[in-house]
Amino acid sequence: MKTPQAYINSRPFTITSSSETVLDFLQHHFGDTVVPTLCKAPNLEPIGSCRLCTVKVKNPNDKDFRMVAACHTPVTPECEIVTHSPDLKALRRHIMELILTDHPLDCIICEANGQCELQDTAAEIGINAVRYAPGKDHHHYPQDLSHPFMRSDMAKCINCYRCIEVCDQIQGDFVLNMAGRGMDSRVIKSLDSSFENSQCIACGACAQTCPTAAISDVFKFKEAAAIDQVATVCTYCGVGCNLEVSVGVDGVLSIGAPWGSEVNPGHTCLKGRYAFGFYNHRDRLRDPMIKRNGTLKPVGWEEVYQFITAKLSAIKETYGPHAVAGISSSRCTNEENYLMQKFMRAVIGTNNIDGCARLCHAPTAIGMQRTFGTGAATNSIKELELTDCILVIGANPTEAHPVTGAKIKQQAFKGKTLVVIDPRTTEMARLADYHLQLRPGTNVAVLNMMMHFIIKNNWADQEFIKERCEGYQLFKEKVLAVDVDFLSAISGVPKELASSAAKVYAQSDASMCFHGLGVTEHAQGTDAVCLIADLAMITGNIGRPGVGVNPLRGQNNVQGSADMGVQPNQGPGYLKMEDPGVRNYYQEHYGVPVPDDQGLTIPEMLDEALAGRLKALWIIGEHVLQTEPNIEKVKKALQNLDLLIVQELFPTETALQAHVVLPGASFLEKSGTFTNGERRVQRVNKVVEPIGNAKSDGQIITDIMQEMGYDQEDYDHKKVLAEITQVVPFFEGITWENLGVNGKQWPVNSDGSDTKILHTETFKIGKGRLIFKPFRESPELQKHAKKYPFILTTNRALEHYNCGTMTQRTELNELMEEDILLINPSDAAKRNMFDGELVTITSARASTQIRLQIDRSVNPGVLSTTFHFPEVLINKLSGDVYDPDSYCPEYKVIAVNINKFS
Amino acid sequence: MIRSDGQPVSLFEYQQQGGYSALEKALQSSPSDITELVKDAQLQGRGGAGFLTGVKWGFVPMGEQAPTTKYLIVNADEMEPGTFKDRLLLEGNPHQMLEGIIISAYAIQAPKSYIFLRWAYKSSANRLLTAIQEATDAGYIGKDILNSGFDLEIALHTSVGRYMCGEETGLLSALEGGRAIPRAKPPFPQISGLFGKPSIVNNVETLCCVPHIVEKGAEWFKGLSIGDGGGTKLYGASGKVNTPGIYELPLGTPLREILEEHAGGMKNGYRFRAALPGGASTDFLTEEHMDVKMDFKSVSACGSRLGTGTIIVMDNHTCPVGFVHNLEHFFAQESCGWCTPCREGLPWVERILKSIELGEGQDGDLDVLREHTSGLGPGMTFCALAPGAMAPLKSALNYFEDDFQSHIREKKCPFREN
Repeated sequence: MKTPQAYINSRPFTITSSSETVLDFLQHHFGDTVVPTLCKAPNLEPIGSCRLCTVKVKNPNDKDFRMVAACHTPVTPECEIVTHSPDLKALRRHIMELILTDHPLDCIICEANGQCELQDTAAEIGINAVRYAPGKDHHHYPQDLSHPFMRSDMAKCINCYRCIEVCDQIQGDFVLNMAGRGMDSRVIKSLDSSFENSQCIACGACAQTCPTAAISDVFKFKEAAAIDQVATVCTYCGVGCNLEVSVGVDGVLSIGAPWGSEVNPGHTCLKGRYAFGFYNHRDRLRDPMIKRNGTLKPVGWEEVYQFITAKLSAIKETYGPHAVAGISSSRCTNEENYLMQKFMRAVIGTNNIDGCARLCHAPTAIGMQRTFGTGAATNSIKELELTDCILVIGANPTEAHPVTGAKIKQQAFKGKTLVVIDPRTTEMARLADYHLQLRPGTNVAVLNMMMHFIIKNNWADQEFIKERCEGYQLFKEKVLAVDVDFLSAISGVPKELASSAAKVYAQSDASMCFHGLGVTEHAQGTDAVCLIADLAMITGNIGRPGVGVNPLRGQNNVQGSADMGVQPNQGPGYLKMEDPGVRNYYQEHYGVPVPDDQGLTIPEMLDEALAGRLKALWIIGEHVLQTEPNIEKVKKALQNLDLLIVQELFPTETALQAHVVLPGASFLEKSGTFTNGERRVQRVNKVVEPIGNAKSDGQIITDIMQEMGYDQEDYDHKKVLAEITQVVPFFEGITWENLGVNGKQWPVNSDGSDTKILHTETFKIGKGRLIFKPFRESPELQKHAKKYPFILTTNRALEHYNCGTMTQRTELNELMEEDILLINPSDAAKRNMFDGELVTITSARASTQIRLQIDRSVNPGVLSTTFHFPEVLINKLSGDVYDPDSYCPEYKVIAVNINKFS
Repeated sequence: MIRSDGQPVSLFEYQQQGGYSALEKALQSSPSDITELVKDAQLQGRGGAGFLTGVKWGFVPMGEQAPTTKYLIVNADEMEPGTFKDRLLLEGNPHQMLEGIIISAYAIQAPKSYIFLRWAYKSSANRLLTAIQEATDAGYIGKDILNSGFDLEIALHTSVGRYMCGEETGLLSALEGGRAIPRAKPPFPQISGLFGKPSIVNNVETLCCVPHIVEKGAEWFKGLSIGDGGGTKLYGASGKVNTPGIYELPLGTPLREILEEHAGGMKNGYRFRAALPGGASTDFLTEEHMDVKMDFKSVSACGSRLGTGTIIVMDNHTCPVGFVHNLEHFFAQESCGWCTPCREGLPWVERILKSIELGEGQDGDLDVLREHTSGLGPGMTFCALAPGAMAPLKSALNYFEDDFQSHIREKKCPFREN
């Protein structure tokens, strides 16, 4: 067949897609500025409101040319398009004049001056004044200065609808809308309120898309004062948003989201866009410090290095290498994590290296390795567009992974089936077709029920099971034997609901599963992950577009830290340390023998410290005194150490406990790579120099390695990345250069090609292993439920990030200033408790005071709160129950009682 | 059939006159036969565009593969200035339209129908609700209508009152609960309309023709017309004529006959100067066009449109500038604000016209107005509102330029006392 073509100004060009509009076609061949437009933004559907892109088109059957808006007219093969002519010029001038009649012509004092699309377009069209005398206009509209981040000055609005469309089509919060009609139409927030009083969640997409400065932010995103723009990757969650950082002479001015990003075109959340103020906060640690006579005193780097080296060497000498342990950080780069594990293994000689993945997705890694062979997301987020059914288990992506959450919401709006398994009625649950509101701690029960119905009703994909899986017979027998009545009763999920949800997941053409910490942070975390993998396998939802098991990784580089070997049992690339062949392999690369001990996980490190066997602990970027369970115990453990090194940005409670404090660098102050939740290795670029005398974490680790006599090359992130590609098999084809702007998803082959979908032909372990796991009640409830009848489950809020050391040093505190406890109205009524009241919650460990919010999003008997604020310190309450496979603590089920505060 | 006392025709009366027998007949034919029949009858949409109704229905996906959810939507949002023909049908004989709806819904196999009614038509709403209840009780609406296996629900939706709601896609947006904002075509509503499902939007008068076509056949219907297209047409006449009102006449009845015979000619002391043939959004016709046949094709040939066929007469004592200013005031107010030319252009047009009318016009004002008539013309705006608004202005500038000039020259309106 002949390739379809059409004529632009009499020259033929190829039509590349049948869904192309005239504007797409023109821009494809002549670039974005081929015809002027103001209402079209790169990530939005065309809406045809500004009419500036009007061109003349003559289809084969037409007698004459017609004037049409290029953006919403499909291109017809063999049509003729005229982009420029005297009448088009007159028309565009007329439209531009009309726009300018109602726009204040005070460019010179406007923050968007020089970055204003209206200004640029007016200049392009060649108009600088309007003929109409002043009359009715909207220049008197007041500015909105109410919000900590968002700003509006609607006098500058040109009614292009982009902000409204972006709020609908990208964020999906429908905050912005148009009120009034005709010339009185104006953009409003919620029911015509200020930004502060509206439902706005400050993602800032409207500010970024606004062609003028009608909607902006406190950082004046468009102001032309930037001397440089640096592309980097966000430091918060595992979505891995690309950021475009504007830098001025005094540091970071503002942050935007690049339009060309694959992860987050033109979009990011309020943390990524606005919560960067921590980087030069007055609390930043600027010098290394050594504790002398009970107080931390600033010292020079040389002194601190010598101190550490002497101490570590002495401890190693006296107690052996296994008396030393390290906790690396998922907030750091791959290069830094690689070096830290290398330091522990090659320099100290112990496998006592672990990271915060222990507290979040260790069960995912283990569960998926057991079933699939690879502990990482099987598919890519973009495939949401291709899926038919989305299953969200124990995850609250609209709060914790906002950009992915927004993408899931958009698919739900488009009518894709959404199944949510969550003890709380989250925003996602409200949008769901099926919400299985289970009792916390019963994921395994619900998953078993679903699989029971799938197998019993023959909804399973027998072909996939036969070709790709093993262990089905035994698995089937066990699943068919479960007592669904018991499971339904214990989980609180009706059988019919579980069956309907199972049916739609099994029978949709492509079903995609996402899970979060609501799956993993349980006594049966690994079991639940295994079952999620089973569910995907028995329904054939693996190895093709729009399916798979996709953990929503918590931290920016939690995937990467695990990839780099930050766990005791596996080195870089997940090679098992117990294997002598593997140890030889690492020895070849490190030039020294590597240890064969089992190594300690974080909870074990604390236990060992408490027992006096662990003497030295080096913690990078982790505030264990807020994030570990049972904080009193953690505190005692840390106090028992001979040497506690804390490498931090801020003087956290943990840092204040340390003997030595090392000032690390924030993500804006260093280069390297982060790996997001979809295995995408992306470049992080230094924006500013580290504050004070702080150094990048990679530099500090390298310095100490050298100080301790190890022959480590001087720190250069590119050289370390090159070393990693030699060691980690699935990094083989990566180079700093070929990562480009959008990174690569591992495994990356030697030719540089990357992998969007895992397990397309076979699993890493050959066939997928179906593993049955029966439901077990949490030991926490078995032991304490009688005395503490409520189940407290913890979660995250959009406005803060984990323990809040960073976000609480930004304006985000104005949006959320304390942890709030959610309680069902019936429970509150029984205890005569009121909304906003301060109450005491008590667990078997400790008690704390917290403010109450009466909310139907939790069932009776269930309480829910965030753990962001040290004032409440909710992890005082959490216990010692761990998932036995991964040692991930059970943060999600805490037996508590609730009393009025007196 | 309309009662002379202003009361609605009851179900009993309607049945006595053969009402709902067309429905029985239709349900015995196949849906595609009905569509073909309406096509053959050359029924043209009576809302103003004059598109062939049967052809429009023909675009709806049919058969096994077609979506099961489809909608037949009645555009009863009669807000065109000077137009009151649908009101007569709605208030006078609601069952006639209901029968038309049921047959038409059957033709496109739509299980749900919405009547989108102008908010001000309060008595229409009451009468429709009564009629829907009567027809439901009689088994004409609901499950398994007359044992045919065809189900239909009819719901009345009362608009909040916006001219934009009369625009097909604006109506759909409003019916979905959003702002009455037009949508880009393609996709056409017949493929992706209300809630993204295939939808047909038909005018009240159009649907009222359908039972008669089914009852008496396509040839009979075509034979009623003396112009292009089939059937009769409700013509309206307003202005300084002796007997303003609605007249059902063969499609293609000449303008002169309507105004002079049926509307009784001009009142004493008034001379005919011009007329808008089909509502405010059509171009003026003048004395020279008096013999034009009032059908879609013939009126278009004179540079105007038949529109709704409700004629607004402008007499020799009415100022054309003031007349047009009044219309543009309406259009500027009713613009939805979606696209630039309409949102910003119409208020400026209105302002200029107002200043001319007040004697504050300036040289060059007419050039600016003419620039708008092309800049806001067909194809330049998102929907047809602004081009419709430009129709009376453009033709007024053409036929009555002298009046505009004299306003500017004399710095006053010559039609006013001082």
